[in-house]
Amino acid sequence: MTPVSLWLTGLAAAPLGAVVGVALDLEAERLRRLAVLCAGAMFAIAATLFVVPELHSFQIPWPGAAHAFLGQSMLRSDAFSSALIPLPAALWLLTVAVTPRSRLDRAGLPRTALSTLATTLAFLTESPALLMLFWTASVAMFLAALSPPDARRGQRVAAAYLAVATVLLGVGIALVTTAATPGSRAEQLGLWLIITAALIRKGIFPFHAWIPEVFDRGRLGPAILFSAPQMGSYVVAVLVVPRASPETLRVVAILALVTAVYGAALTLFQRDARRACGYLFVSQSALVLAGLDCTGVEALGGALVLWISSALAFAGVARCVLVLEARRGRLDLTTHHGGYEQMPILAASFLVLGMACTGFPGTLGFVGEELLVEGAVGAFPVLGFAVVVAVALTGLAVLRMYFSLFCGARGISVQLRLRRREAIVFGAAAAFLVLNGLVPGPIVASRLAASHTLLAQRTAFLTPGTPRTLTHRCR
Amino acid sequence: MTGGTSLLHGAVLVMFLAPASLLGLLAIPSLLRRPPQERVVASATRIAMVVAFAAALLALATYLAAGTGPQVLSYGAWFSLGTGRFAFDFLVDGRSLGFAVLSTGICGVVAAFSRRYLHLEAGFNRYFVQFAMFVLGITLVALAGSIEVLFAGWELIGLSSALLVGFFHERRAPVVNALRVFAVYRVSDAAMLGAAVLLHHWAGSGSLSLLFSGQGQAELALHGNQAVAIALLLLGAVAGKSALLPFSGWLPRAMEGPTPSSAVYYGALSIHAGCLLLLRAEPLLAQSPAARVVAALLGAATALYATLTARVQSDVKSALAYASLTQVGIIIVEIALGLTGVAFIHMLGHACFRVLQFLSAPNVLHDLHELENLVGGHIGQGSHGALAARPSRRAGTLYLVALERGFVDALIDRAIVAPFYGLVGRLDRLDRWLSGGGGADGPDSDSEGTP
Repeated sequence: MTPVSLWLTGLAAAPLGAVVGVALDLEAERLRRLAVLCAGAMFAIAATLFVVPELHSFQIPWPGAAHAFLGQSMLRSDAFSSALIPLPAALWLLTVAVTPRSRLDRAGLPRTALSTLATTLAFLTESPALLMLFWTASVAMFLAALSPPDARRGQRVAAAYLAVATVLLGVGIALVTTAATPGSRAEQLGLWLIITAALIRKGIFPFHAWIPEVFDRGRLGPAILFSAPQMGSYVVAVLVVPRASPETLRVVAILALVTAVYGAALTLFQRDARRACGYLFVSQSALVLAGLDCTGVEALGGALVLWISSALAFAGVARCVLVLEARRGRLDLTTHHGGYEQMPILAASFLVLGMACTGFPGTLGFVGEELLVEGAVGAFPVLGFAVVVAVALTGLAVLRMYFSLFCGARGISVQLRLRRREAIVFGAAAAFLVLNGLVPGPIVASRLAASHTLLAQRTAFLTPGTPRTLTHRCR
Repeated sequence: MTGGTSLLHGAVLVMFLAPASLLGLLAIPSLLRRPPQERVVASATRIAMVVAFAAALLALATYLAAGTGPQVLSYGAWFSLGTGRFAFDFLVDGRSLGFAVLSTGICGVVAAFSRRYLHLEAGFNRYFVQFAMFVLGITLVALAGSIEVLFAGWELIGLSSALLVGFFHERRAPVVNALRVFAVYRVSDAAMLGAAVLLHHWAGSGSLSLLFSGQGQAELALHGNQAVAIALLLLGAVAGKSALLPFSGWLPRAMEGPTPSSAVYYGALSIHAGCLLLLRAEPLLAQSPAARVVAALLGAATALYATLTARVQSDVKSALAYASLTQVGIIIVEIALGLTGVAFIHMLGHACFRVLQFLSAPNVLHDLHELENLVGGHIGQGSHGALAARPSRRAGTLYLVALERGFVDALIDRAIVAPFYGLVGRLDRLDRWLSGGGGADGPDSDSEGTP
């Protein structure tokens, strides 16, 4: 067994450990600790795969002759994907670390563990068949996690949208992989079906309405874990960006830019914190997609930086809302709930994480948005300013949420203090974004290398006469 | 690098590092649940302010002694695209260093005043964290050599300002007003970001030395309309930050913050940040006469509006804020007319004078109340008497307009806010309908169990 195989085995085994813990019917506190341990181990392994140069790039081929049907490699890591691998594990760690014992859902824990594993494995593959498999698995786990009776409505809405998206993705992949000639009608149709599936999953206008509904009426925890890693962006980057014509990508980028403003404006309007989180995700997700489809080094690099930054920042903001809900019940943004003095760390973390979503200087979001806005204006001299408008509106919306959730007088009758592990987790997420914002060199270099990889792959695909495999990559 | 240049390099770096270190020193222990004691906060702030002021003085003296003209001090690339474009540069000249000396000096004085003013206040440490954020922001704005550094400083000022307006956050009014202030700042920030993007896009560089020092305009190759567009965006950023019309409505709202922060923001420094920016961008204005005309008109209209409004204010901080705005309007006119030397001296003098007025206002009021208690009645006539005493209809209308602060907020509400919320509200209803939700608000949340 090669070192990479060992690390990958560990990566897969970690979430399965939590599943085994549930199967053994461990006592609640032990189970919680085991879940934190598994999530921590998974994150550590994934981070090692990203950080250690020897493990950074690898390719694990299919056994036998399966590559003829299923793609060049079964699993792989390269400049593009290596930074994404720790993301699902980090979000899962964020989730289990702040979940109190009393709220630990025994049925939900295996689902979130398997959903995290599916997302991580999806980021490790470029095989369309495996992507389809992991996409379906994560959707199934997510829908199961939105289980009745408390979230029947959210589950129904999500199921309707995601079922359509999954079918479209399946048909699209089938058309693209079986297309006789590059650029044929079948391939174009397949690409559009894949794009539509990704737009639905990412909540891009006009397919966005289910996201705030699920955040509002579904269960927020699984919704965060499902949406924040942005598997839809990955599908676009791996399957669409290399193959699609410039015109196709322009249409997608325009939709994304419109959605970024739309989502930010509706975040500002919401009366309910959960719905506001839903629209915040819509806006952030759209910004990433806009960058991916601009096909310039700056915009693409900005989108890849923003992908990591916004996933962590958005998940942190939404988790803060969940932590507050656990103490206060449903959060109405038209009133001021108070509590800053009891939870200064949560308040400060919320502000830092929220400001990272808005590209505030000193956070990683600033770097991503600077690159993105410049690339977007380069590609769309007028419409590119939508990024500027979206950023301005998001900043206002985040500060409004902050004021509402932490400011105001409060007659304190319940325990509001933050637990140590909550403080550590939120503090660590905020510190990661600030440290990488102050010294962004390494992460920017990594993401620019990734964008060069994607662009080289696109060039190779669109150059006539270049030999093409099912999932051709340029290395 | 010569000895003088090294000294200048070092002094400017210290000027930046002093408030940055203070911010870290005060913020990090608070986040670790170990907020420092008042005495420690005050000592750390005093040391940081003295060091920053001394460094600013040293930098100014070194610069003047060298007599080399504007210099770009490069501290490396913040992040690189392979060409090192996002540079961490400072552009030093007489004005930037002069303003830096002024800002560190005033911040030092206000910090010393704040220590006593906020003694035993619950948010003592929070105040100084936000104050340090402001000092860092204004230092970056004063010295910025690249538009990214300028934008970073601009945003730091905006966020710290909003947080300090909402400092007494247990009351509703300061928080509501802070959000309103921040909304205007976001418009200003968006204009600044737009200028930054266009500068990169057209000039291929974010270096401000090309715009601010008048060097290399040929290489810059900004043709007429491009220069006008960037100048107008910068003017938009200035209008938001310096409360020029039509954004003046936020100024009285910002008075909800503690008096020392009002002094340093709206009497002395933040409100002049826009003037400094315009002053430094004068070579760009010279290239774009249209922007120059707009600046002159905005400045004149703001000065007229503010002087009328100041006369009918019933609280001293608002009266002082509008008096400040009057002078800011005049300074903008001076810059637009090309009287940059006059404008710079006017700005320095006005900042010092106004900060003194703001800081002494609580004592003056206290003394006045004591005196009135002794006399047993009100003393003197309000400043609005000059307008109110005239019985003519025109004066009455003018009085009403001034009393309602020119209906600026109402106009913005009616022309922008209400249509925006109307449109977004309709879209929200459409989304709820599309997701089969109708209008009713959400379900129970207590059943949330994760993961």
